[in-house]
Amino acid sequence: MNNRALVIGAGIAGIQVSLDIANSGYEVVLVEREPSIGGHMAQLSETFPTLDCSQCIMTPRTVEVGHHENIRLYTYSEVEAITRDGDGEFIARIRRKAAYIDWDLCTGCGACSEKCPFKVESVFERGIGPRKVVYTLSPQAVPNKPVIDAENCRYLQSKWDIEQGRAPAVDKQGNPAKPKCGACAKFCPTGAIIWDQEDRIFEERVGSVVVATGYDLFSLANLPEYGGGKIPDVIDGLAFERLLAASGPTAGKVLRPSDGKVPKEIVFIQCSGSRDPERGVPYCSKICCMYTAKQALLYKHRVHDGQAHVFYMDVRSGGKGYEEFLNRAQAEEGIHYVRGRVSRLFRDDDQIVVKGADTLTGKPVEIRADMVVLAAAILPKAGSRLVADMLGIPMDEAAGTYGGFYIPSNDEFDPVVSPVPGIFLAGAGLGPKDIPETVAQASGAAAKVLSLFQRQKVQA
Amino acid sequence: MSRIGVFVCHCGHNIAGTVDVSKVVEEIQKNGDVAFSIDYKYMCSDPGQALIRESIEKYQLDGVVVAACSPAMHETTFRRTVASAGLNGFRCESANIREQCSWVHQSEPEKATAKAIAISSSIVEKVKTNEELESLTLPLTKRLIVIGGGIAGMQSALDVADAGYPVVLVEKENVLGGNMNRLSGTYLNFAAAPDLLQKKIDQVLHHPHIQVMTGAEVTEIEGYVGNFKVKVGQKDDAGSCETFTFETGALVVATGWRQFDINRLPQYAGGSAPDVIDALTFESMLAPGQKIRRPSDGKTPYEVVFVQCAGSREKDAELGVPYCSKACCMVVAKQAMLFQERVPGGQAYVFYTDIRSAGKGYDEYVQRAMTDHHVLYLRGKVSKIFQDKAKLIVWGEDSLSNQEVEVPADLVVLASPMAPQLDSTELAQRLHISTDANGFYNEAHPKLRPVETLTAGIYLAGTGQGPKDIPETVAQASGAAAKVLQLFSHDEMTASPLVATVIPEFCSACGLCVEICPYGARSIHPLWNIATVNAALCQSCGACAAGCPNKASQVHNWRPEQIMGMIDTL
Repeated sequence: MNNRALVIGAGIAGIQVSLDIANSGYEVVLVEREPSIGGHMAQLSETFPTLDCSQCIMTPRTVEVGHHENIRLYTYSEVEAITRDGDGEFIARIRRKAAYIDWDLCTGCGACSEKCPFKVESVFERGIGPRKVVYTLSPQAVPNKPVIDAENCRYLQSKWDIEQGRAPAVDKQGNPAKPKCGACAKFCPTGAIIWDQEDRIFEERVGSVVVATGYDLFSLANLPEYGGGKIPDVIDGLAFERLLAASGPTAGKVLRPSDGKVPKEIVFIQCSGSRDPERGVPYCSKICCMYTAKQALLYKHRVHDGQAHVFYMDVRSGGKGYEEFLNRAQAEEGIHYVRGRVSRLFRDDDQIVVKGADTLTGKPVEIRADMVVLAAAILPKAGSRLVADMLGIPMDEAAGTYGGFYIPSNDEFDPVVSPVPGIFLAGAGLGPKDIPETVAQASGAAAKVLSLFQRQKVQA
Repeated sequence: MSRIGVFVCHCGHNIAGTVDVSKVVEEIQKNGDVAFSIDYKYMCSDPGQALIRESIEKYQLDGVVVAACSPAMHETTFRRTVASAGLNGFRCESANIREQCSWVHQSEPEKATAKAIAISSSIVEKVKTNEELESLTLPLTKRLIVIGGGIAGMQSALDVADAGYPVVLVEKENVLGGNMNRLSGTYLNFAAAPDLLQKKIDQVLHHPHIQVMTGAEVTEIEGYVGNFKVKVGQKDDAGSCETFTFETGALVVATGWRQFDINRLPQYAGGSAPDVIDALTFESMLAPGQKIRRPSDGKTPYEVVFVQCAGSREKDAELGVPYCSKACCMVVAKQAMLFQERVPGGQAYVFYTDIRSAGKGYDEYVQRAMTDHHVLYLRGKVSKIFQDKAKLIVWGEDSLSNQEVEVPADLVVLASPMAPQLDSTELAQRLHISTDANGFYNEAHPKLRPVETLTAGIYLAGTGQGPKDIPETVAQASGAAAKVLQLFSHDEMTASPLVATVIPEFCSACGLCVEICPYGARSIHPLWNIATVNAALCQSCGACAAGCPNKASQVHNWRPEQIMGMIDTL
């Protein structure tokens, strides 16, 4: 029997599953779509309720994964297909996207990224900061190997234009035309830039699969009454995390995207798209109450004379030390909580007018804010449906047109076991949850794999 | 002359925002024993660790100081890094210039920089004379003892037993199932829940690798990870107690919760009015074959008031507990819905502060209670409940309409807090684990080590760690099992060599160390008549070293001359 596990997704859930299995002496194949591991937790500044710096507590785990002799890490890769042979063994087809860099030669020195003259908006920085076209997600990236974003790379695009006849094959002097730029290749000390690198296909045979694909945030474009993502100083919770993060684009200073000023009035809107079947999703996203309280508190720590307002429906601080944390935010830090929905907001001069109702006083509220942070709903990760179909595991339709979450064998009694033997589930792909719950649940999924492998080992 | 490398971490802005890290590098290089020093953004990152590895080789370093965060955070990380470059890991130390310096002196950057230099210099002095040590190996008993036979304990037991390891499940009551036995059903699998619970109980009872001991309690525990000796007292049918001793490698503590006593809630007439009951009592009325009848006169109640947070989220310790009990919002929604179904013409009222239905399908569930089942939700605190003839008068506020509300009720259900077991603190002391101010067991780290305790080999499952609902409990219980399976996957264990040791020539066998040691790691050798150390039990607290009048007891790499040397640098 095959005693290797495939883990899909290397956020904190996938990392925990992989470490629990690998530290028990079994091999793990860990596949991550992004160029480095860590998922959303790598984007966070500090975590509630202890205000531990997210990078600080996670880096030991990511580094351990990167160096683990039992973990075979495929980053910038996706599982394309999974089949099962007669023995129940899973055969996974993994596509590693072309990075145009030979990671064996690359030392991670960063010269390519430094010399690359082109910047684009960074998805990791949630649009509030740029990245180079040759990039790693963060300075702590594991593995610390850059990738080239082909779509925006001047060299690759001009090379392909010439090859495919969209640009002249010869220059004005009649010499064969050369692609433009190529700065990274010129400065790479080890010659690791490989312009004709192609996607590579790997096949891995495993005895068990853990699905830990995680979540996305609801796009602000779907919230027209909140500016539809078009007002630069209306950002989502993850973007605000990047503003607070020491490794973020503002080096931890709270500066608003439009003009770099320090916002003195800031409004946080909870349930932006959550608990709202008409405009968003019907369910509660579970983590926003606590991260909003944390963000408002960290804002006050950074901007002492600033005022933070939080619009909420119910404050959901059910977790160890959470209620106490919320009390601290409200009482000690003087954060102004308003119970009610924001009906709309709009830009006025360089401010944002937030109009809502305080359901406790029954009166309308209007706040002129310098910046607005929307706690956007948690959605199942894009592509979860494809993973579910590939594995034959069921999914709900909780998020309607935005997809659904994986369904375990039984929500209460078997929360990490999928109905398909050998396939287990962990993390936010099952539904919104915070880090402690994710980590405990991920270890739970690992227990199922370990139990299975140990049985197979004894039988063999 | 030593050749020590000092690596100064910025930790993003955590350190470099306050401490002038280049000044630290500059100053520390003046120390004759420092062969190399450099600062870097994140020493714990891959390139940071590579920098340390490469520098060891390039500068022929014989010791490493990483001036960064607390050693609790990354000492293991950096020792591993150093070891991978061929240097003994114990020739590396962390100088804590974050928690003990930059974080606490943010308003005084110059003084913080001076302090960071002083801290780093003293650690350089220590590393100069650090011994090269090797990890110890210890035997491992692959058996698990689970304390508590509720849904959490049963799940942990099943996962470990399924892997083929022997498990002893110790349950205080005479039956398995814990508080779940007292539930009519659960919110997501209402009708099926009793059967599903029974199925789990049967799996446990018939499992070839699980020994179930009901009516039993853990009375004594000694030993350490991999090698615990646990005494279990079990009452037989005649009521006399028999003691069994087990050797076990690990324990899972799954003692669960108890309903907070409503007698302690006089503001809600708890204990004084017979028709004010707690949620578990109401559950018993919802169980198959039972009817909803009020205790005082056995009549069907038509107006029922549910009070959420009755004693939870209470800032005043006289009135309850400060925390949120997490599961009550959903329990009340379920109970109110069932009441509406089973008592036609009845009306359920729910007083709430916030509705916390944050789980998969939970918000939708509460919505159904409100819209389909017409449960009347009132946002506000109940100020007083009192008996008025056959009715209970509930005074509260509706904070949405800002009006005082009075509801004459036939029955009041208090969703009183989920509290830890009364003996949780006592059991924790016996196990050498800690509890928080509320009596819940403390996990090793609230974010990333939620099922471990700070005592190796002892893990947590279920509500003994904090309020949680069934799905979270079951997942967490499997999580605890994963830690046990991980431990049992090795044939022996490794332990830190940083333990106390005895210089026999100096020892007069006075026995002071034996008295002082809080871990029972010291004894006087009967033949040699000198003090000895059980390295597996020693936690290197240093109490013996401080107490020994002859300096015979010393802790490896914390020897008196090292400590004096460190002080001399300051």
